[in-house]
Amino acid sequence: MKRVLPIIAFLPVLFAGCKEMYDPGIINPETGYLVVEGFINSGSEPTSISLSRTTKLTENIFSKPELNASVTVEGDDNKSFSLVSTSPGIYSSAQPLTLNTAVQYRLKINTANGNEYVSAYSSIKHSPVIDSITWKRENGGVQIYVNNHDDNPNEKSYYRWTFQEIWEIRSTYLSNLKYETNTSGNPVRVIYKYPDQSPDYSMYYCWQNSRSANILLGSTERLSQNVIYLPITHIQQGSIKLGVLYSIEIKQHALSKNAYDFYLQMKKNTEQLGSIFDPQPSDLRGNITCTSNPGEIVIGHVEVNKEENKRIFIYNSQVPGWGYSRFCDIVSIANNERSIIENLQYMPIAPEEFNLDGSIKSFSASAGTCVDCQTRGSNIKPSFWPN
Amino acid sequence: MKKGWPISIAKLILSLCLMMQGMFASSQVERPKLSAQFDSLPIENALLTIENQTNYRFYYDKTAFDTTKVSLNANNISISDALESILVNTGLNYSIDVSEKNVFITKGLLVQTTLPSNFYKSDTVQNQSSAVESAMLFKPGSDDKEVILLGRGDESGVNRVTISGTVRDEKTGEPIISASVYIQNPNIGVITDQFGTFTIMLPKGRHTLNVQSIGMEDIERQILVKGESSLNIVMQSRILTLRNVIISTQKTNNIRNTQLGVQKLDIKTIKQVPVVFGEADLLRVVATMPGVKTVGEAATGLNIRGGSVDQNLMLFNDANVYNPAHFFGMFSAFNPEVVKEVEVFKSSVPAKYGGRLSSVVNITGREGNKKNFAGSAGIGLLTSRLTLEGPIIKDKSSFIVAGRSTYANWLLNLLPDQYKNSKADFYDANLLLNHEFNKNNTVYLTGYLSNDRFNLNSDTFFHYKNFNYNLKWKHTFNNRLYSLINIGQDKYEYKITSERNPVNAYALSFNVRQSYFNAHFNYFINSKHTLEYGLNTLLYKLLPGDYVPVGSESLAAPLHMPFEQALESALYISDRFNITKDLTLDAGIRYSMFNYLGPYEVNNYPQGVPKRVENMTGTTIYAKNKIIHTYHGPEIRIGIRQMLSNTMSLKAGYNSLRQYIHMLSNTAAMAPTDIWKLSDPNISPQFGDQFSLGLYKNLKSNTIELSVEGYYKRIKDYLDFKSGAILVLNSHIETEVAKTQGTAYGIEFLAKKLTGKLNGWVGYTYSRILLKADQAETGEFLNNGKIYPANYDKPHDLTLVSNYRFSHRFSTSFNATYSTGRPITLPIGKFRYAEGERTLYGPRNGHRIPDYFRMDFSMNIEGNHKVHQRTHNSWTIGIYNLTGRKNPYSVYYVSENGVINGYKLSIFGSAIPFVNFNIRF
Repeated sequence: MKRVLPIIAFLPVLFAGCKEMYDPGIINPETGYLVVEGFINSGSEPTSISLSRTTKLTENIFSKPELNASVTVEGDDNKSFSLVSTSPGIYSSAQPLTLNTAVQYRLKINTANGNEYVSAYSSIKHSPVIDSITWKRENGGVQIYVNNHDDNPNEKSYYRWTFQEIWEIRSTYLSNLKYETNTSGNPVRVIYKYPDQSPDYSMYYCWQNSRSANILLGSTERLSQNVIYLPITHIQQGSIKLGVLYSIEIKQHALSKNAYDFYLQMKKNTEQLGSIFDPQPSDLRGNITCTSNPGEIVIGHVEVNKEENKRIFIYNSQVPGWGYSRFCDIVSIANNERSIIENLQYMPIAPEEFNLDGSIKSFSASAGTCVDCQTRGSNIKPSFWPN
Repeated sequence: MKKGWPISIAKLILSLCLMMQGMFASSQVERPKLSAQFDSLPIENALLTIENQTNYRFYYDKTAFDTTKVSLNANNISISDALESILVNTGLNYSIDVSEKNVFITKGLLVQTTLPSNFYKSDTVQNQSSAVESAMLFKPGSDDKEVILLGRGDESGVNRVTISGTVRDEKTGEPIISASVYIQNPNIGVITDQFGTFTIMLPKGRHTLNVQSIGMEDIERQILVKGESSLNIVMQSRILTLRNVIISTQKTNNIRNTQLGVQKLDIKTIKQVPVVFGEADLLRVVATMPGVKTVGEAATGLNIRGGSVDQNLMLFNDANVYNPAHFFGMFSAFNPEVVKEVEVFKSSVPAKYGGRLSSVVNITGREGNKKNFAGSAGIGLLTSRLTLEGPIIKDKSSFIVAGRSTYANWLLNLLPDQYKNSKADFYDANLLLNHEFNKNNTVYLTGYLSNDRFNLNSDTFFHYKNFNYNLKWKHTFNNRLYSLINIGQDKYEYKITSERNPVNAYALSFNVRQSYFNAHFNYFINSKHTLEYGLNTLLYKLLPGDYVPVGSESLAAPLHMPFEQALESALYISDRFNITKDLTLDAGIRYSMFNYLGPYEVNNYPQGVPKRVENMTGTTIYAKNKIIHTYHGPEIRIGIRQMLSNTMSLKAGYNSLRQYIHMLSNTAAMAPTDIWKLSDPNISPQFGDQFSLGLYKNLKSNTIELSVEGYYKRIKDYLDFKSGAILVLNSHIETEVAKTQGTAYGIEFLAKKLTGKLNGWVGYTYSRILLKADQAETGEFLNNGKIYPANYDKPHDLTLVSNYRFSHRFSTSFNATYSTGRPITLPIGKFRYAEGERTLYGPRNGHRIPDYFRMDFSMNIEGNHKVHQRTHNSWTIGIYNLTGRKNPYSVYYVSENGVINGYKLSIFGSAIPFVNFNIRF
């Protein structure tokens, strides 16, 4: 047997499979099914239910609230609590509901078009608290985990989490100048913002926030102990979120198996598609039915529930070498109307040169986002903010 | 064996020379010896010379001699040897009568053939021991004018006798499958089976026997049929094929066969079809045939005539390969180097096969070279491969070992984002052995292993493996009866591991194992009836899921789903009945039985209520090996063929099949995480039947085959998934699936030319597959109980596969394929929920992705064609998806950070060049 000749395969020109935006352009069916979101709150906050309608895919609409509906929480003891509309599509109880653990409750909705919808009855569920929120530096950033446990080892637990992040941001430059405007509102020169020439901290300290947009679910179905340790969110290394101080509040809902399946299907249908072996999308079934028009599609799963919250803070100093930086160049602008108009994209920072009369001859300036943090966030400090 | 040939030839020639009506010489008769020398003597004078030396008298017709001159240099040889020697190449025959006094010299023997054999019975020599039982036919050449005697002529009262034998390749000793063995007047022909054997019933008398096979020199020989005999034919591969026209193996096979919807592809054809990355891919080429579809480029699962991918019985030398896919399903896991041919039964399924609803894909492995050691090695973009073969005992046994392995990780960077951060490894290995103990006993051993491990853009690793082996024994009882006994085991398993999160780290494994025993008999009763009968038995052992923690920190709770066990058995018989010369009926019945065996805990549901978790009334525990439930029923296989002319036929068929094991999937492509489930008391078997009708016509001396076939098919109790179905680790799977009734119909047009410089085929199919799930037992109607198309329903499909040979060393191949986009479920509305924008999905498979169109081109360059050089090499260079069209694999909508975006995913979104190098040694 002879040796196989050494052979070199030459590389093909790089090619790419691809994923591209797609609009089939044909999907405009009649739509407008009722969407019910919320839970019958067995905790210490009022119950709030949101009603809306589905919209066409092509419609550029954020949400289409369902107005003028009457919404009540009914117990199988024939007691009921009615919710009132507090903002378009939002129906809330004025007070926290006093619910009886021995009673099952459901939601009943009468829409303005005369249809009646009810949810399945459910009872107050045991809701474990969040033990802790922990984080680790991994995968090129910070990974945040939620931990809890349920002492009842025989019970399988199902959870959904939502979170809200908030973080402090700071302008690159602290400014003590502002533009003086003429009667028509155009800047003509810079002057000190405050007579004592002190800087304006309201443009320096700000807070940004964001909410979870993906459905976060977890269960102990396949675990030997009723313990949860799951990643919630990931912050990329160098992200502005940890530039100064970051906080995350996680809200936890203990779900029934049915509710969990509902959210799981919604997640599969909307977040886990397109990969080669992902399941095909399919119908979404909640626990709400239309009694006056059986068979009508209703979206939503409402049950008695309680929200458990927990918040943590992470300081920039806890993540050495985080590496957040923001590049802001400084220009020098003569303090006259013409050069100010020419450089309107800049905001003044501090005087550079003075005229003989002590007035400002020229000043340093930088891009608006480098000087006024309000262009990126809110300068209202949250009440719980530690510093 | 080779050693035996000259002896046989001598015997052959001898007996050939010794025959004439009424007068048989026997070698046992002591004949006077003679000596004579003459050169170029007129034959008449020569005979006189002999007459003078012996007391024989010669009788002849002088006019037949013309000017024939003969030579002899004999010293004390028998008269028969002398005559044989002088008459060679004269076209004359001689016979010596029983009295050993008279010798008849004649030209041609045809006149005698029409005489009944028993007419001369009384005065023929009955015990002609020198008569040849086993004859060899050589390649065409100088000696092809000889008339070969077959049989002893001792069967009285019959006009037709059985001739059986094998056809082999002279060079490698491998059997030649699907060679045509036929005589033309009357028109009788057969095709060799997978062992190269054939049985043909011929009228007694003289015939011209033709043997043809693709790539082989045609054989045309004169035979004189006297009685039952066997015939070993050796064919020589054709090296120069410059002006050949007559190669088609199938020559009239497509017309004469009673089967409908059968497509056969040999590996040569398969290898010349360009495929992505240049890796010859059997299943991709099968998918170019009419009626065969896949859901897209990431799937090798075949959807045949509206069947789902689990409804194909995928056999490699009788081993059932469950998941023959590599590399995320982009390649089929059959090494082209060990495959001889593939045969797809789309409609008429022989009674010996069962257990799957829509088709049998029968892949036949090669036999190793029985004469010399040989091998081949290849390197391509995706794999490198090595094949070795050779004799173990020369001419008796041979082996092939072949392996392929990949280094394809670099390719992943070129695929869509969905494959980023992925890894893929795979290999496959084949071992094929055969040994011929004697003429009547041959055993075959087949071993197959394929192994895949990959992760797909996540920390979860998928690992799956097919492992198959079997042993087959072919025993020939006599010319008319042979048996095949087959015993083996098939295994498919997968394992999913996820280890990044130490608390949830787990491994999930699944496997299905089947052990089988098959006995098959083929009994050629007479030219009107051929019986095939036998029994199959198959023991399934299925592990539906085993979930275990990985690592010390893991809290994953072990979950061991109980084993499932079942026995599937079948008895079958079929008869090929030649009713008239032109009308043939192939009728078979298969009776299959399925016993679901304990130990198992069966979920109970009250009669008449939907099978839902809340309706479960508890479980019943069954003891080990107790029969829990039995399903059984007949399966009918009927095909009928009417010849309309020599080149045209009409066929009709009805076939029904049952399937007792189901693949449950909710993904578009066949995924390595799909599980298989045995029928149990809550999940009934699938049943399907099909009516088909076809018209076949050959043109240009059978070099162009045209066919139209139509079919109508019903599928009962196919399992589709319910919305949000959880299929893995579920002990009540019956609540997650819906019994679905399907209707498929279609018409397939095919024009095929397998010979000449330009060859290939073009096919067009119009077909539909519609499903309906509206049974109350389901508890939930899919798509509100309305009819919906399956996700592989692609009504229009037009495919061209072509090859043009410029010279022996250079040929080009070109493919073009168009099909309707496959159905998908698309959103019909959006809404806000859980902080994000969400989609509401509409009717199941209610929309279609854009149509599919692709063209491929490749060039095959062979090294020089000197036969006796030590290595032969070849290059394949080509471009897949020539136009770079971004054919969508799927269209989907995702909520990304709360906003709905629609995407179209193409697996191969540009033209993809490839190169492949092969070397044979």
